[in-house]
Amino acid sequence: MPIEKAAVIGAGLMGGAMAAHIANAGHEVVLLDIVPEDDGNRNALAEGAVARMLKDDPAPFMDRADARRVVTGNIEDHLHLLGDADWIVEAVTERVDVKQAVYRRIDAARKTGSIVSSNTSTILWRALTDGMPESFARDFLITHFFNPPRYMRLLEVAAGPETRADAAEAVSDFADRKLGKSVVACNDTPGFIANRIGTYWLVAAVGAALEDGITVEEADALLGRPIGAPKTGVFGLLDLVGLDLMPLVGRSLKDTLPADDPLAVIYDEPALIRSMIAEGYTGRKGKGGFYRLDPDSDKREKQAIDLESGEYEAARRPRLPSIEESAGSLRALLEFPDRTGAYAWKVMSGTLAYAAGLVPEIADDVEAVDRAMRLGYNWKRGPFEIIDDLGAEWFAGKLAAEGRETPPLLKAAVDSGSFYRTADGRRDHLGDGGRYRSATRPEGVLLLSDVKRTGRPLARNGSASLWDVGDGVACLEFHTKMNALDTEIMALIDRSLGIVGGGMKALVIHNEGSNFSVGMNLGLALFAVNVGAWPTIERTVAQGQEAYKALKFAPFPVVGAPAGMALGGGCEILLHCDAVQAHAESYIGLVEVGVGIVPGWGGCKEMMLRGLGSGRPGFGGSMPAISRVFETIGLAKVSRSAKEARKLGFLREGDGITANRDRLLADAKARALALAEDYAPPEPATVKLPGKTGRIALQMAVKGLAKTRKATPHDLVVVDRLGTVLTGGDTDATREVPEDRFSELEREAILDLMRMPATVARMEHMLETGKPLRN
Amino acid sequence: MNHAVIAGYVRSPFHFAHKGALVEKRPDDLAAEVVSGLLDRTGVDPAEIEDLIVGCAFPEGEQGFNLGRIVGLIADLPISIGGTTVNRFCGSSMQAIHMAAGAIRMEAGEAFICAGVESMSRIPMGGFNPAPNPDLYERNEGAYMSMGETAENLARKYQITREEQESLAVASHARAAQAWDEGKFSGEVIAVETGGGTVDRDGCIRPGTSAEILAGLEPAFDAEGTVTAGTSSPLTDGAAAVLVCTEDFAARNELAVLARIRAIAVAGCAPEIMGYGPVVSSEKALARAGLKMADIDVIELNEAFAAQALACVRELSIDLERMNIDGGAIALGHPLGATGARITGKAAQLLRREDKRYALATQCIGGGQGISTVIEAA
Repeated sequence: MPIEKAAVIGAGLMGGAMAAHIANAGHEVVLLDIVPEDDGNRNALAEGAVARMLKDDPAPFMDRADARRVVTGNIEDHLHLLGDADWIVEAVTERVDVKQAVYRRIDAARKTGSIVSSNTSTILWRALTDGMPESFARDFLITHFFNPPRYMRLLEVAAGPETRADAAEAVSDFADRKLGKSVVACNDTPGFIANRIGTYWLVAAVGAALEDGITVEEADALLGRPIGAPKTGVFGLLDLVGLDLMPLVGRSLKDTLPADDPLAVIYDEPALIRSMIAEGYTGRKGKGGFYRLDPDSDKREKQAIDLESGEYEAARRPRLPSIEESAGSLRALLEFPDRTGAYAWKVMSGTLAYAAGLVPEIADDVEAVDRAMRLGYNWKRGPFEIIDDLGAEWFAGKLAAEGRETPPLLKAAVDSGSFYRTADGRRDHLGDGGRYRSATRPEGVLLLSDVKRTGRPLARNGSASLWDVGDGVACLEFHTKMNALDTEIMALIDRSLGIVGGGMKALVIHNEGSNFSVGMNLGLALFAVNVGAWPTIERTVAQGQEAYKALKFAPFPVVGAPAGMALGGGCEILLHCDAVQAHAESYIGLVEVGVGIVPGWGGCKEMMLRGLGSGRPGFGGSMPAISRVFETIGLAKVSRSAKEARKLGFLREGDGITANRDRLLADAKARALALAEDYAPPEPATVKLPGKTGRIALQMAVKGLAKTRKATPHDLVVVDRLGTVLTGGDTDATREVPEDRFSELEREAILDLMRMPATVARMEHMLETGKPLRN
Repeated sequence: MNHAVIAGYVRSPFHFAHKGALVEKRPDDLAAEVVSGLLDRTGVDPAEIEDLIVGCAFPEGEQGFNLGRIVGLIADLPISIGGTTVNRFCGSSMQAIHMAAGAIRMEAGEAFICAGVESMSRIPMGGFNPAPNPDLYERNEGAYMSMGETAENLARKYQITREEQESLAVASHARAAQAWDEGKFSGEVIAVETGGGTVDRDGCIRPGTSAEILAGLEPAFDAEGTVTAGTSSPLTDGAAAVLVCTEDFAARNELAVLARIRAIAVAGCAPEIMGYGPVVSSEKALARAGLKMADIDVIELNEAFAAQALACVRELSIDLERMNIDGGAIALGHPLGATGARITGKAAQLLRREDKRYALATQCIGGGQGISTVIEAA
């Protein structure tokens, strides 16, 4: 039975945000909490949660309108609302008695066959169902979301022995397709997968730092980027999640794990942390944590705590020989003969060996563990991938040299060579009995990384590749830093057009980077400006315009499939596609004015053509469309979701949204193949534009913004050039202008603006700081 | 000689544009209800009306076509009555009154409905497809200058402090609120019907407005300036209508005459200080009436901005105790096309209510103009 309607009990941080995300997926969701004391409004908790979430940043809702699908109430008056819910999630206090009391009320109100799950992170399925009716246990499982649930891709699902299989399947399928989660099935063991290993890592790192005199900054420098974890490392991560969470989770793990479990053995609550929590230094949500901003300075100066004295001091960015000399080799870092190398080895060897000892106790295979750590802790590689990188034999040897036990699974990897291998283009992982097993992708999942393992690209240069993704569809992949766009990419677009045009059906533009593309390579552009290479700049602009135009008018369909940021030129390439299949978390925008220029690869053109609607101004003339586009580009608006991108006009009504990133390429490919039936490329359009009068009207509208300092002097210059482009330059409202005219105007505007020192200052500032200069 | 008199005045409640109770009310429907309300209140026989003159500052969209005729047809006026639309921006419906008064002198009709309307929610200032003349703009930017900027110009030119502006705004709200409390608007405000129910009260007045609250606002038009949202009239939806007829007609039809129109004038001034317009037009109108400002007992001067109103107060030596005694546009709102009919009708009602002799209604107009009407007790 597919899940249509859901309910969440408990409107706290997690409960509220889960309800918001179910609403994001287009499903109605009931959100109930208790009736608060001393409040006239019996629904205050759930209503307050929705109101708060509408203000939260990062936003739990993808679109404010999604909040309307959350039906708020309380568990005294509104239990009947659970009657038609297919899935009821409990997210109340981590206490078995409280949770079971809620379950009894849910059980009395829910319909037969509905599924109940708990968002517990610490309590076992068997504890939660103990004493509950068998009919309840059959419908009950654990769905452990990570915070914040909209953005964290991991969902751990733990079913008990009595849970009916189709309940876990229905929830997993809903979470996968609708909520975009990567579902990892785990066993009913304490802390499930990610928190079991992650907590060990944190506890080991804090304990060893205190023991070995490693500073907070050193620990984070060693255990962040070098191991493939976020740069917050361990102490920064504790600040982020809250110091008080550590004893909460840690104590519960210690209590439920056998006494000889390595985590139970090393678990400790250092006096410093206890006193920090007691005094309200709980991290970013409190007065500060291991780091804070100097409260006596208004210059946002970062301080770090001295683990020995407990005093804050100015934070230092440590320059560690171990990191510098290991030059990106984790093995060299772990072998480095100083106290920092020894520290890194101590923490990581413990963590990796612990993980190796936990399979198959916590999960069936190493792939599940690695995926959980990648998606739950944002590690680039999971523990087994790290061991492969280090060399299983080397790692086992070093453990043995220290007289430490080698887990059987690690032994098996030593015997076979590694945990993973690539065979026949498939990535296999080591399973039971030392045999490799192939990961089977669920139906509707197509990963470019899988395709890339199977063979050679159809075309390739230093910045981009063209891959055959099957059924006559090619995929254009960018692979520059941040997927910035350069002339190599434009050249490969050109070659791709020939290859796809010569017998293939369609082209998809997609990559698996964190961001689809952050736009033009600003460093290269600035270099050209600084040496005054104006003909080169003009050629680069024209080359991009021609490449994108060729995509638009190609004799086959082109589908863009972005995820993450698609900015500037990255947005413009999408605007030229026949259709876009966007990941729900797509952050799309034309941000050129931030660096003092206007969109020059057809962004102005395509936004105007969309705004005007087939080139014929409707009621009200062309100005309503022009002013909307002017505002979107002039304010450098970036969508905070694919849904918002649709509202801003970057996506069209017919463009698709895919919740799960792993399904994006398959959806885009299906879209491309559907378009390929009877495909006819678009006809070039002509438009009527107001010319100078329109530009003046825009100028008048903007003037007030400068007076009230909402716009800077150079903003006025840049958006005036934008106005010239959007209103058609020197034309008349009665004249039909070909769409190519926009391209000429874009080029002229860019070349003029790039000659201005204020624009150059903006470009330099953006390159140096990553933030726009307000000059 | 035929004298033109004002023999009736009504208006709709005024509400904030974009968020008030009249947001979903079409301006043509709103104006038609006000015209019908005027006919009901005065008891005049509609068949006797010569023309319906409707003032509107942005006559396009729902205010487009020939709004004057459309409103007459919506209100089911006899088809024998004409209908015209007149635009003098904020002075539009005072201009409607002037046109009626002129026609009466020409013996080109005996009775006229002079109305005005603006839905600033539904038709944006500047219109939907603004197309300013580029050459004029480059030669004379003031022609299209934002009204807030002109108010800042006057504040600077006349050294009008922010505190002075705010004290006028506080008084405006206090007077309007008190007038409502004392039932003094019952003679002019008629209830209108909306999808959300009957609307019978003004929506813009903030009775608790204090100097402290206003002092906390950011400048609205110039970061270095003194004009805030609190010392500007709000964007407003509303309509007003006045019955203008000959004295004979009023007597014959037993209409209650509020005031006689004594003199009218319009005059231009520099566009970048458009708020100064009432000075030049009022000087002309007073001279034509053979009166001095000291003779005027009741003054309705539109508060487009406090800075602009206070500049006029200074230049014309207006006694603030006689000006806008039931509150002005900062509190009541300023639906552009409707304001001229409102302040002229209001001045006429006040002459009668307060038992005074002379009144002046005057307002500034974007682009640099003033318009003034001097009326006297009938």
